[in-house]
Parts: sequence; structure tokens; C-alpha cells
Amino acid sequence: MAEVFANATQILEPFRGVKKVTIEEYFTSGHRTCQGCESALVMKLMVKAAGPRTIVLGATGCMYVANTTYYTTPWVVPWMHTQLGSSGSAALGTAAGLKALMKKGKMKSEPINVIAFCGDGGGADMGLGAISATLTHKEYNSLILMYDNESYANTDIQLSGSTPYGANTTFSPPGKVRRLIHTRWKKNTAAMLAAGHTECRYVGTVCASYAVEMMNKVRKALSIGGPTFIHSLDPCPKGWDYDPMLSHELGELAVECGVFPLYEVEDGVVRHYGKTKAIVEGRPRKPVREYLLKQGRFAHFTEEDLEYFQAKVDEMWNEWEIPGVIPFKKAPAGK
Amino acid sequence: MAHFTCEVVYRGIFQKNLAARICRGIVLSARKAGRWGIAFGRYGDSPQRNGIPAKDFAIVADTQEELEQNMARYEPKEVDVTICVDDTLSKGVESWAWYGLQPINRLTVPNGTVLMTSLQSPADLLKDIHKKEAPYNLALIPAKASFSGLWVYKEDHTEARILGALAKIQPGFLSLDAVCAAIQEAEWGSELKAASARKAFERLESRPVKITEGNAETPFSFEKPKWWEMREGVSIPAIPIGKPMEGGKGYVPERNPYFKKFTTRTMRPVIDFDKCVKCTLCWLQCPDSCFDVTPDGLYDANMESCCGCGVCEAVCPAKDCVTMVREDAFEDNASQWEMWRRDKPAYMTWMGDKIASKQHVVRSHGFRFRGQYEEEIKQSLDQGGTEITAGIPGENAVGKQR
Ligand SMILES: Cc1ncc(C[n+]2csc(CCOP(=O)(O)OP(=O)(O)O)c2C)c(N)n1
Ligand code: SF4
Ligand code: SF4
Ligand code: SF4
Repeated sequence: MAEVFANATQILEPFRGVKKVTIEEYFTSGHRTCQGCESALVMKLMVKAAGPRTIVLGATGCMYVANTTYYTTPWVVPWMHTQLGSSGSAALGTAAGLKALMKKGKMKSEPINVIAFCGDGGGADMGLGAISATLTHKEYNSLILMYDNESYANTDIQLSGSTPYGANTTFSPPGKVRRLIHTRWKKNTAAMLAAGHTECRYVGTVCASYAVEMMNKVRKALSIGGPTFIHSLDPCPKGWDYDPMLSHELGELAVECGVFPLYEVEDGVVRHYGKTKAIVEGRPRKPVREYLLKQGRFAHFTEEDLEYFQAKVDEMWNEWEIPGVIPFKKAPAGK
Repeated sequence: MAHFTCEVVYRGIFQKNLAARICRGIVLSARKAGRWGIAFGRYGDSPQRNGIPAKDFAIVADTQEELEQNMARYEPKEVDVTICVDDTLSKGVESWAWYGLQPINRLTVPNGTVLMTSLQSPADLLKDIHKKEAPYNLALIPAKASFSGLWVYKEDHTEARILGALAKIQPGFLSLDAVCAAIQEAEWGSELKAASARKAFERLESRPVKITEGNAETPFSFEKPKWWEMREGVSIPAIPIGKPMEGGKGYVPERNPYFKKFTTRTMRPVIDFDKCVKCTLCWLQCPDSCFDVTPDGLYDANMESCCGCGVCEAVCPAKDCVTMVREDAFEDNASQWEMWRRDKPAYMTWMGDKIASKQHVVRSHGFRFRGQYEEEIKQSLDQGGTEITAGIPGENAVGKQR
């Protein structure tokens, strides 16, 4: 009888330095993304970290439409398209399906990585329910990676729950009468999912500007077993309106300005890492204006808007229960 | 009865609003001249991506019936005028769909016109523009590639100048007066822009191109799979894993055989292999998986897949090791590493020549800092450009700062 892998996973040791990174590409050239698309880089690094015994499932969005149209593909590993809100269901269904087939002896028993990805529209908005459900099924190994380009980018930049305050999108064009149309603060997706799913083994935030760290988070999520979630911030030259050559730098700035903190929650333990850890330990953050004023989507910002944005980010760091992660504050004594 | 068809070949996102304005301007001018018209984009190019070549079309006809006849098609098979607002597209167009490489003049009718904005001479452009089996005219508006299609609008009058030039090329359909009247009425119009259109009309230079002239290369193409050859469940064959380079060392990833990025680029990296410290960052951070790992541990950007984003230049820690150079400085897509290995002194001469030209290494698209466009416009003013006063509501950063 075939051996059944309860929560057995592949052994994926972290890459110790850039020279140790796998040379093979499992997501190769020929996709139709924009010049400088950081999300394409996330796909490449994600499967490079995962290795060849991996199945990738992709929700509709840029990373489906721009990657696999007209009967062509950049994928080397097996990949399947799933509906816009279905990354959670696809991850769970595939993991369960593989397990059943192995149990019945219809395929060789071996740990296969199951990764589902979705954009912020598909993950933070539409597919949130299914992702939440998946993160409660601790007997199935899967990773859901949300690549957050902060808009519904594929359909020409509509605002999502992940779009930052004040940004110009096709749904929030600044005008003469009202300068800011989008005045809601961005959803805190990774922390929300970590806080709400106590049996989810791993939740992490990553940025591909820190490629080795990012790949090691993917490796950790895949090797820990059970359902896991990664939130990646992806600069998008089309939606953020900047010169494509700045993609890498904008990712770094998002972290260094404290706009996008890097942390992981492993079995309920929060750890800041990388540049963010240094910030938590007292290294000064760069002013957010350095990040915002490099992007056309904030070109209409006045000093007042910049100050508001800075104040909100300061609050994340100075007043939150866990800096940059959990937005709770303790009630003042006696109240 | 007569009709006139035109295509605007442009770069997705960078010039999307510009192309739409040109096509709308054609239709509005046609209405001013008592004709009928329609403007539309090619569906296959949407949703658009930064830099990917795309097309918009405009058709003008004497009567409504004739216009309707010409609308009943997916996209025109031939056009009277091909308009190209970025001369790095003169090498041809790979759009989204199954086309392979389309020469820029492929749809231009015999004796039709290719109208381009360019600072290059016709002779230089014809090194890139493919030969055609019929004569046509090459009309040039002296200007660098316009990026006025971006969100934060860089107002440079390109659409007005194109419309003025068209009135000269197709006087039977668009009179200069009709064009100016339409420009003034459009939401992006102004007196100044009408003046730009007039200037372009007067100064347009055009020259016939003979069938013997042009780039003799056969454009890249491939067999489309027939529907019955497609696999069950719309499954697509995966790309095979790559293989080591010579002597079992290095690594070359396999690449999607159908979609190349030859013409997605406006620039490409030129690498000084002697300065490379083999840090791997360009290879690791390239979103298009372009780099072949050579047996000697260097990284060779493969021109089939490079889209010219410039990330490799941005991440390279070695000074002056990677330099992005404008695409019009190159005639082929050969491997730089092979050239370097074959003959190092010759490579150094070649490379030095490419990166020395200021004109070739200055990037001009995208938003890099607040006030950039205002600065650029001022610069072009200092060089004798027209003053720009009319901003576009919602598109001009200046107009938006209270
Ligand atoms: C149920 C459904 N609604 C709408 C669409 C149209 N659609 C295709 S891609 C897309 C945008 C997805 O945005 P996001 O998930 O943020 O991914 P991105 O495009 O940013 O990569 C939309 C709305 C769809 N495919 N399915
Ligand atoms: S719109 Fe953004 S996410 Fe989509 S392909 Fe372009 S850069 Fe990538
Ligand atoms: S410019 Fe550099 S980083 Fe960008 S696609 Fe080309 S090789 Fe890759
Ligand atoms: S980034 Fe520069 S130094 Fe590093 S490997 Fe590439 S070319 Fe060499």
C-alpha cells in the first residue's frame, strides 16, 4: 500500500546567499507583462524557490492574462488557470485531490508543492472568503501567494481594497473639484489573515527587491506543512506610473519608508525581518515622500496629503500593539 | 465614393492616450469636413502593457454607408497611412497575438505613406524598416518619441502635429482648416496646438521609397497551430527546462518560442564584461529571465526576451558595467558575450561607441520625480520649442497642484 503523507513536505533549506540560488528557471521568458513588471519577477522567484515538483494555480489577473495567452506560456512547471476569486478553493482542492490520489495508490506518494497565486483584487477583495476557509484546513499543505500591485491592474488599474490612500486609479482620477477621490486606508491583509486563523502555520510579507529573503520565505512556507499565506508587494510601472527601471528601487523604498513592513508569523509568533527589523530596532525610516513622489499616481499630492500619509505611517510604528503589524492599541488604564 | 484608412502604431500605456487622441482627432476633423469617421483599437492588444506595441485605427468615408462597409471587419488589412509615434518601432511590431514580427509598413498600401516622428534621417530609418514589394512614401516629423500618453501628461503637441501632417498627406479627406477647427474644439485643443498643426503641415518632409530600399531581413515568423492541433482541455505544452551551455557549464533557459520581445524594447542593456563582478544581481532581478549564465560565470542578456526595462542597469553594483542604450543604435540581436569572447578589443570599440552617445543613453519615459515633465518641456523650450500653456484637466500635474 502506498505510503500516505499526512503533512510531509519537501525539504527546502533556505538559500544561504545569492550564489547558492538555484540556477534553473521554472518560469521563463516570453510572457507579455509590462517592461519592469515586478509581479513577473515574483512568479519567477516563487517557483525558483519551490523547485520542479510544484503545481502552480493562478487566479485571473495580469499574471494569468499577460502570462498565458494565444496558446503560449512561460511556465516550465505545471500551471492551471482558476477563476478570479478562487485561489483559495483551487489550492485546497488541488492539495486534497493529490492526497486522495496518493492514498488510493493512483499516483506515487511524494510531497508536491501546491501554490496558488492571486492579485490583490482576487485576494484581498474577491477571494478573501475562500482564502480564509483554506487557511483553516490544517491537514492540507498549500501556499497562497497574493501578489499585490495595489490595483486591478489587468483591467487597467481599478482601485482595490489594497490601493493606497489618495492614489490615482481609473476609478479615482484626481480632478479640479476634488483632488483626492480615494480616501480609504489600505487593507492590512496579511495581518488580518494571520490574526484570524490560529491553525494557519505561516503568514509572511515579502518584497522581490529582497530576492533571496523572499525566496527563503517561500521555502519556509512550503516546507512547514499545512496552509500558508504570503503577501508580496509588487511595484507596477503601469499602475503606479513610473519609469520601469525603478521597480527594484520602489520596492526597497516601500520597505525603508515603513509603508510595507516585512514580517512573518510562524505558528503564532511574529518576527520582523530584514530592513524592517532594523527599523523596529531603532533605525530611522525614510520619509514617505521619497517613495510617493517617484510615482505618477501620487503626482497630484500636496504637502498636506504627504503629511497625512506620513502621519498614518508614523502611527503604524509608534502606536500599534505590534509595530507595523497589528493595529490594536491598549485602552488607557482605568477605562 | 471614397474612403481613407489609417493605423496608429504605438507603445502600450506610454502612448495609449496619444494614439487615442490622434484617431479621435482624425474623426473629428473628418466631421468638420462633412465626412464620416470612426476610431477604434485592436482588441488583441488590450489590456495593454507598458511598452508592448499596439495599434489604433481610424477610418474616414464620404458617406455613412461606406463607413459601415469598412467597419465590418476585425481590423483593416491595408491602410493608406501608417502613423508611428516611436521610431524604435521602425524595426517592426510584435503585438500580443499570433503575428510574429510585422514590418512597420506591412499594411501600408502601394504608394501609401508611413508617417513617423523621428530625429533620424530617412537613410538611418530605412536600415530598420523592412523592404516592401511596392513603393511608398516616408514622411517625417522631426521629434523624439513622444511619451505624452502617460497618466501624468507630458504635453508636447504630438497629436496636433500628426493631424496637421495628415492634412498634407490626405488633402482629399482632411483639410488643414478642418483639422485646426477640430483641434480647437477637442478637450485637449488650444490656439497653440492649432498653430503646431499648421507648422507641421508647412514643414512636413516626405520622400518616396523604392522597392529596392530598406532592411532586407526576413521578419521572424512561425507556424500557427491549427485548431485541431491544439490539445484537449485547452492545455498548452509547458516550456522544457533549459540546459547547460557548452561543456556542461553555465545555463540557458528554454524560452517561449512564439512571443519574442524584439520590438517591445525602446532600449537594451550593453554590458562591459570586463567590469562585471559576477554578483548575479542582473540575472536574479530580471523580470523576463533574459540572462544566459555563461560557462565563465558571466551573464549574457538574450535579446529574444529582453523588454528593455532597465532593471539590470539599476541593480548592477559595478560602475558603468551595464548601460541602457536606445534601440535605434543596434542593427541585430546578436549575443554580446559571444562578440566579446571572439574579439575583446573589437567588442570594446563597439561598446564604447554605443555607450558614448548621450542621445542614446538618456531614457525619456516614465515618471521619475515630481516636476520632471515640466523640466523636460522647459528644456525643449530652450531648444526652440513652443510654449505650452494649456494643460489637460486631470492629466497635467501642474494643473493639479492647488
Ligand atoms: C468574476 C470576474 N469578474 C471580473 C473579471 C475581469 N477581470 C479580469 S482580470 C481582473 C483584474 C484582477 O485584479 P487583481 O486580482 O488585482 O490582479 P492584477 O490584474 O492586478 O494582476 C478583472 C476584474 C473576471 N475575470 N472574473
Ligand atoms: S500592469 Fe502591473 S502587474 Fe500587470 S503586467 Fe503590467 S506591471 Fe505587471
Ligand atoms: S533590460 Fe535588463 S532586466 Fe530588463 S528585461 Fe532586459 S535584461 Fe532583463
Ligand atoms: S549585476 Fe553587473 S556586476 Fe553583477 S553580474 Fe550583472 S553585470 Fe555583473
